[in-house]
Amino acid sequence: MSTHSISVNGVMQRVDVEPDTPLLWVLRDTLGMTGTKFGCGVGVCGACTVLLDGRAQRTCILPIEALGAKSKITTIEGLSPDGNAHVVQKAWAEIDVPQCGYCQSGQILAAVALLRELPNPTVQDVQSRMTNLCRCGTYQRIQAAVLRAAQLSKHGAGK
Amino acid sequence: MTTRSRREVLKGAAAVAAVLTLPVPLRAAIPAAAAPAPGASPSAAAEAVAGGADPDLLNAYIRLPATGGAVFQCPYAEMGQGIYTGIAQILADELDIPFNAIRVEHAPPGDVYHLISFSPEMPRLRVTGGSLSTRSAYPALRKVAASARRMLIQAAAADWAVPEGECNAELGTVHHRASGRRANYAALTAKAAQLPIPDPILKLPSELRYIGKPMARLDSAAKINGTAQFGIDTRVPGMVYAAVKYSPILGGELESFDESLRGKPHILAVERIPGGIAVVADSFYNAKKALADLQVTWTTSPLAGFSSRQFAETVRARLDEPGETAESIGDAPAALATAATNLVAEYHVPFLAHGAMEPPNCTADVRPDAAEIWIGSQANERVVTMVHEVTKLSADKITVHTPFLGGGFGRRVAFADQVIPAVLLSQKVGKPVKLIFTREEDIQHDVYRPMTAVKLRAGFDAHKKPVAWHFTVVGDGPARNGNRFFKGKLDASTFGGLDKQPYAVANKRVDYVYEPIPVPIGYWRSVEHGANAFCKECFVDEMAAFAGEDEAQFRRALLGDAPRHLAVLDRLLALCKWRPQAYAAEDGTSRALGLALHEAFGSIIGEVAEVSIRDGAAVVHRVWAVVDCGVVINPAQVEAQLQSAIVFGLSAALSGEIVIDKGAVQQSNFTDYPILTLAAMPVVEVAIIDSVAPPGGIGEGGTPPIAPAVVNALAKLTGERIRSLPLSNHPLKEHAGASPPRVEEILDRGRTIDRDRLARE
Repeated sequence: MSTHSISVNGVMQRVDVEPDTPLLWVLRDTLGMTGTKFGCGVGVCGACTVLLDGRAQRTCILPIEALGAKSKITTIEGLSPDGNAHVVQKAWAEIDVPQCGYCQSGQILAAVALLRELPNPTVQDVQSRMTNLCRCGTYQRIQAAVLRAAQLSKHGAGK
Repeated sequence: MTTRSRREVLKGAAAVAAVLTLPVPLRAAIPAAAAPAPGASPSAAAEAVAGGADPDLLNAYIRLPATGGAVFQCPYAEMGQGIYTGIAQILADELDIPFNAIRVEHAPPGDVYHLISFSPEMPRLRVTGGSLSTRSAYPALRKVAASARRMLIQAAAADWAVPEGECNAELGTVHHRASGRRANYAALTAKAAQLPIPDPILKLPSELRYIGKPMARLDSAAKINGTAQFGIDTRVPGMVYAAVKYSPILGGELESFDESLRGKPHILAVERIPGGIAVVADSFYNAKKALADLQVTWTTSPLAGFSSRQFAETVRARLDEPGETAESIGDAPAALATAATNLVAEYHVPFLAHGAMEPPNCTADVRPDAAEIWIGSQANERVVTMVHEVTKLSADKITVHTPFLGGGFGRRVAFADQVIPAVLLSQKVGKPVKLIFTREEDIQHDVYRPMTAVKLRAGFDAHKKPVAWHFTVVGDGPARNGNRFFKGKLDASTFGGLDKQPYAVANKRVDYVYEPIPVPIGYWRSVEHGANAFCKECFVDEMAAFAGEDEAQFRRALLGDAPRHLAVLDRLLALCKWRPQAYAAEDGTSRALGLALHEAFGSIIGEVAEVSIRDGAAVVHRVWAVVDCGVVINPAQVEAQLQSAIVFGLSAALSGEIVIDKGAVQQSNFTDYPILTLAAMPVVEVAIIDSVAPPGGIGEGGTPPIAPAVVNALAKLTGERIRSLPLSNHPLKEHAGASPPRVEEILDRGRTIDRDRLARE
């Protein structure tokens, strides 16, 4: 056991866990933030995606000891203070993307990271960068929602 | 999350809110103009409600809190198919309340929620599966809500001393047109509850506000902000975590394990469970890590010699046996014997896993006098039975919560290996236990879509018109596994989708040879239809090729007695701008369209796939799908389910295969059991036929046509027929110019064309 300090959604959290514990399980089991999901455990499906300093990070294979004290983690719970206000969430709601919904937290955070890097993505950008798996096959609406979020950002909706 | 039982919650709600009690009469007088679609068990809800003794549950489906709005109980689990939204549309429309004032909950166990009936002799049942949710709920629940609406109108009319007929319901209020008076439902429920139960008067189609409209899903907001609760998200005070490992050889048992792990930091228990071992720890990661490092030995198993490749030979070797006859129209064997030409082909499909995104899990809090269970299951009442069998607690001491399911697809009717160990471990450690499968345990200890083989024979007259067909399927189906509804020799979960075909062939026969599959098999989205539509619709293309006809026209000519099928096909051909020949696309690739048409779960679905070949593999660019699913509750969800079912079937067709060697499943995760990615997702365009027929199922029927549509397109590019899946086992090569295939398979009577590429495997 060792003590680690991490910044999650703008709040410093001190957690006592084994140093090799993946961030996913710290978020879910230690901090009780269950919006980040366990899907494959090997970094393939992306259900556990969060933002790490603004970039998409799969957390099921990221030991907490690898995190710097200054790393800023954003989970689905912290994406918008009042629930569904982030522009990507607005686009997701407008297109009514989810089916079972299990992968959607990860999909949304992957989309946020993509748009941060490429504010005006092409269809090809979306197809090459949105690599999270969705077993329900909501891909068509995910793609539409990412492009819609880019459009909404341009028009200054959300943040 | 509260640990109070649902029953207590209901009682609590009843204490503060007027509950509309609403038994519905058995004889529903429906005006002819608004006659409901006939369907499963129309009076099911009525009978059960009338027999209910618990005043809190007298109205099992609708509660109208004094604070306004409505709470609906949904008998079916929400696993992505949109049933919470669909149920809300049905109830809200007939009750006439605003859609945004509704909350939907998963209904607790209770006979009142048994809406599914296969025949009058069989007991009604409840399961989220078989694409039955809307089909069973629509006819029953429209009446329930319509009676409730009428009671509220009658209550207001009595208050105002005006005739009922001068009042109408409108978005949560009753309105007296002449005087302009209005009353909210919440103010009327107490009085309405005292009234005799009126016959429901269903709305006219023109009066419907929500049924048939693309209402946004009620569960989207929670699924977009991360607050949606899945079973795996359950958190109970004092909860600990369990990881499990089952015998890598299916059917094996734990022989011994290194007991020194007991008492180590983080570890609460190391326990044998049926078929495996569990570690309970203070976090799931600690449990999983300790289990991965644990030295374990396993007993041998009767399945230690089982190989799926060998089993494929076993089923194929029986394709000429007579078997049991599932369908016989005319005299197919005689017609084949005298036909000018016979066409024969053998098809084969592999084992498949489900790979739902939420790994299997179960949380159990078992005490000496009560048990509380959280599991996203497709059959919550069977969970109660299972917990009763393990604990001997009576059913009223067992509370089962059904949070959202992170995908179902048939995986979540198989939960014994999650529920039973979670219960045993909770008893052992005296704490609530959350048990989670790793993805590896999920893939390697699933209940698999059965491997089957089908031999298809068609006879043609001298003018190349089909006169007979005879299909034989060899294998096993999930329905025989303890299912009380299929005890005879005929198991429709094996041959369904080969029989009852709309094509006008004078002599038809379907035989079924039972070859027991010793490894666990289960229901996999579309069940037997996924396998059989592949075989049948590919073979119909082979028949068309033999006849020298465009396969679309060949089908049209056989659908003269099936107007709904023909309408789907014609709409599909127009939608995709059908072209029977391969063609060069703008990007220079050779592409071809492939077609398939199949009826399953009460819906008729046709699909066309546009396919090319890149690096020896199939690339699916576009899919057009047309569905006749009867009355549509929510067209947006019909479209979503078709896209979903197509992706699911496409993943399987392209690369889905579970290989079992020496009794052990060789795949373990999405690395070696890949599912389709966004980049590989075809553009799917859906059209829905306007229909007033009873609602058909929509969760599964889109899966069966996609594999044959893709394979039929590939035949035009490669010039060869592929007769087994997945396609990743077939290195694909375009033949020169990718012109239409030569019809090499045309052979004289008496010969076969069993030149399956599988022989190489």
